[in-house]
Amino acid sequence: MIGGVPPPDPGGGYVSDQNSNNIPSPMDMDSTRPSRKRQIEHSHLAPRSLREVMSRFQVEELHLTLTEGQWRHKQWGYPVLDAAPGAELYAWFSPEVTNIDNQWKKLTSTLAGLFCASLNFIENQNTINPQMSLWPSGATEHLSNSSSYLRYASLPREIVCTENLTPWKKLLPCESSHGFSSLLNSRLIHNTNYHSVGVHVRKICANTACTETFIEIKQTVALVYDFKILNSINWSFKLLFGQGLLGGCPLASSSKIYIDITSNSTTHFKLTPPPNKIVESHRGGSEVTLAIYEIKPDTAMLNIAAKQGTNNRVILNIPPPLYFNRYVLGYGKEFGGIVTEIVNNYWAPIDIVLSENAPWWLPIQLSTLRINGKAKSKLVMGQYYSPGRSRQKPYHLELLLRLPPKSTTTVTIDFEFVFLKWQEYPPDANHGFYIGSALITANLPTAKNFTGLPIEGVTFDSIFNASKPWYPAVFRTNGAMVSLPTPDFSMPYNVICLACTVVALAFGPLHNICTKELVLKATGAPLGLRQKLINLFKKKQD
Amino acid sequence: MAVILKYIIAGLVRFWLIHTDYWQTISNRVEIATPLNSWKRLIEGVYLYDNSINPYEGDSFHESPILLIFFHFILKQAPYIMPMFFTIVDLLTAYFLYKTSKEFVGLLEKNQEKNKDDIANESKSMLLQGSQLSEVPEYVLSVFLFNPYTILNCVGMTTTVIQNLFLSVSLWSAVTGYQLISCGCIAFATHQALYPITLIVPISILLADANKGCNKCSYIRTLLVFVLCWGFLIYISAYIMDGSYDYVYNTYGFILNVPDLKPNIGLFWYFFTEMFEHFRLLFVCAFQINALVLYVVPLTLRFRNEPMLLATVLITLSAIFRSYPCIGDVGFYLALLPMWKPLFSYLMFAYLKREFTLKHGTARLVDGKPAKLVLR
Repeated sequence: MIGGVPPPDPGGGYVSDQNSNNIPSPMDMDSTRPSRKRQIEHSHLAPRSLREVMSRFQVEELHLTLTEGQWRHKQWGYPVLDAAPGAELYAWFSPEVTNIDNQWKKLTSTLAGLFCASLNFIENQNTINPQMSLWPSGATEHLSNSSSYLRYASLPREIVCTENLTPWKKLLPCESSHGFSSLLNSRLIHNTNYHSVGVHVRKICANTACTETFIEIKQTVALVYDFKILNSINWSFKLLFGQGLLGGCPLASSSKIYIDITSNSTTHFKLTPPPNKIVESHRGGSEVTLAIYEIKPDTAMLNIAAKQGTNNRVILNIPPPLYFNRYVLGYGKEFGGIVTEIVNNYWAPIDIVLSENAPWWLPIQLSTLRINGKAKSKLVMGQYYSPGRSRQKPYHLELLLRLPPKSTTTVTIDFEFVFLKWQEYPPDANHGFYIGSALITANLPTAKNFTGLPIEGVTFDSIFNASKPWYPAVFRTNGAMVSLPTPDFSMPYNVICLACTVVALAFGPLHNICTKELVLKATGAPLGLRQKLINLFKKKQD
Repeated sequence: MAVILKYIIAGLVRFWLIHTDYWQTISNRVEIATPLNSWKRLIEGVYLYDNSINPYEGDSFHESPILLIFFHFILKQAPYIMPMFFTIVDLLTAYFLYKTSKEFVGLLEKNQEKNKDDIANESKSMLLQGSQLSEVPEYVLSVFLFNPYTILNCVGMTTTVIQNLFLSVSLWSAVTGYQLISCGCIAFATHQALYPITLIVPISILLADANKGCNKCSYIRTLLVFVLCWGFLIYISAYIMDGSYDYVYNTYGFILNVPDLKPNIGLFWYFFTEMFEHFRLLFVCAFQINALVLYVVPLTLRFRNEPMLLATVLITLSAIFRSYPCIGDVGFYLALLPMWKPLFSYLMFAYLKREFTLKHGTARLVDGKPAKLVLR
């Protein structure tokens, strides 16, 4: 169990909490004896519900995040694990699954029940199958064509609330009674600028030959506090969570709190109580100093606090090597465009995969794709496009780009507004429609601002001195919003009547022409009123 | 001379408008470009095809595969001739309509001469005079060339321009009796937009009239040739798409199902945006029957002697009631209307009234008593 508090930056404080469980499972990789797979894994610490979901739907790896707010990469740097606004779910299935779409639907419905989230709205029409952006991080049998077993969906409209936090806490061995999760007081954490809870399940090798696998369940929470709301530049557990920490979970083998104190050398602040240990980590050209608190189950009430020095007012914000921005172009309700701006702030080129995911009601046109305003660009090294289909499939575009050093790249693509059927509009249609975030997968050449775990890492201490040639990271851009044209919802009967009248107006005369003939009818002398009345009755009698 | 001047002016207007800055606006207007015929979607389809992505996999392209590879070829080889191409196709359409109306006027004159004996004495003055008849083709030509609807349609570079050409050629060849050309063209128009299928009825009558001989044999032959041509086009399209018939779902399926509810000048989008989902299928069927088959049989029975009038009425009805109509369709049928200019003074039920009057004279008398015309 790990908690990390990087130093306060101009935007606010960031708290990340991770909880990992490794559960040995006798699941055998030997497929010649499938009967052994029936021996279900024990669930001493791991939640049985998740365990059953994994085995029942034959999921190899699963990532679910529920996020409120927008991570600002430019100001805040990179999170340990990025998450798209709203709900995001992606999973790799076992190669034995024949009908993955079917299994995916079942999985989303089950998770919807488990987390009280609207994941059941994930259907084929908002599911994509990323080809290059996502790679499994666990031990899987099918590395070469993993994308065909992958399904990805995000629900940007999903609102994350207490009802999602409670089931998330229940997955922990100590639930919310002991340990770090007792700090998560929903009254306070939903008051933050950004909060994200996540569950990540993967398989890891139990031995070096990888003949057996463990299931690793990682639960994460990320919170970004706003100093404006806290009304103080000093922070403490009492201020952030409303209470101190009363010991770790007795079931945990280790509980640690990491506080990034790298900036202490420039902007002085004082931590109370003093940390148990201070560790310096050199990783890919960045130096990070971390203060570590080891929490024992019997530790007395702990209220970690940071008190700022007196003259710390000017804080220079150095943006990370790669950041991005996304917005919608155009006016009116006929045509528009999505722009993704990616800035490479580093002195070397960075390769990224940009995965644009437009819902079916936002038909993008590949022929309008422009990179830095040009239709043909040397920056594009690879491309994958899956055209969408109305009410069935989203539009999905993946671009492998090589961003030149110290450059800004804009990727623009046009779309057309679509008119939906009146029943397809969500409640409050004039509020607008959310477009999910784009995925940006980058191989960062530097670990500056990068706090992600290395792929083989299980706990947070694996980042210490973990220098690699490059650091794979998956980022989510901000989402966007468009306002689709809305019909007059109150008028279905009027419309139906009007349209049918037009048809009837055409039908009537044509019917007359085709079924009747012209004859002469004597009109005779003009009739008196009496005769007219008599005629009227006569007709009725006929 | 005047005719050539008309062509030149009309051609220049189109060509110039395509090269103005308004072109983009015009070709994006919903009245001109529907999901079926829009230039933008054609470009997108060609682009996808060029990048070896099946354009029919998604929802962005709904034209026929034959046009897809045709435009793919032109846009690869010589994209700059596109404005010229559309202008010339539109002018050709005008030319064939002109020829059609000329032939038609000739036929009208011949029929009038033949049936002179059946005409009531006092109605003789109502017979069409030479000058009345000779101005008809001029009107047809002018209406097509200078109607803002057809001009905008051509400037928007919609595929309706090509469809109009095929319709006009098939009408012309039907009047002159070229069976194969007529059937081939109408098959192509059907392949492209489905609704011209109704025109096979007036065309088979026209062909039977033009080629004297066994009427029934002619009908059957025409129908057979049409079906063969259409089947061949469908097969060729599938061959282009590597033997896959998936494109049918995206062309005919798209026309019949009406999944795209973007506004246009038709009724479908308006109606089905607010339709209760439960009744959608019923009303889609009802509206498509209304547009496709409902009027063919009764109108054929009524106007079997006037196939050209039948063709005009069917073209008009399908332009109004098709699922994705555009002003190009409207412009086409408006150009056919001047053929019936002598009837304009009768307005409602013009043709019937005129026929009646020719037969019985202008006097409205029954047994010497005043009477009025009524439908019974």
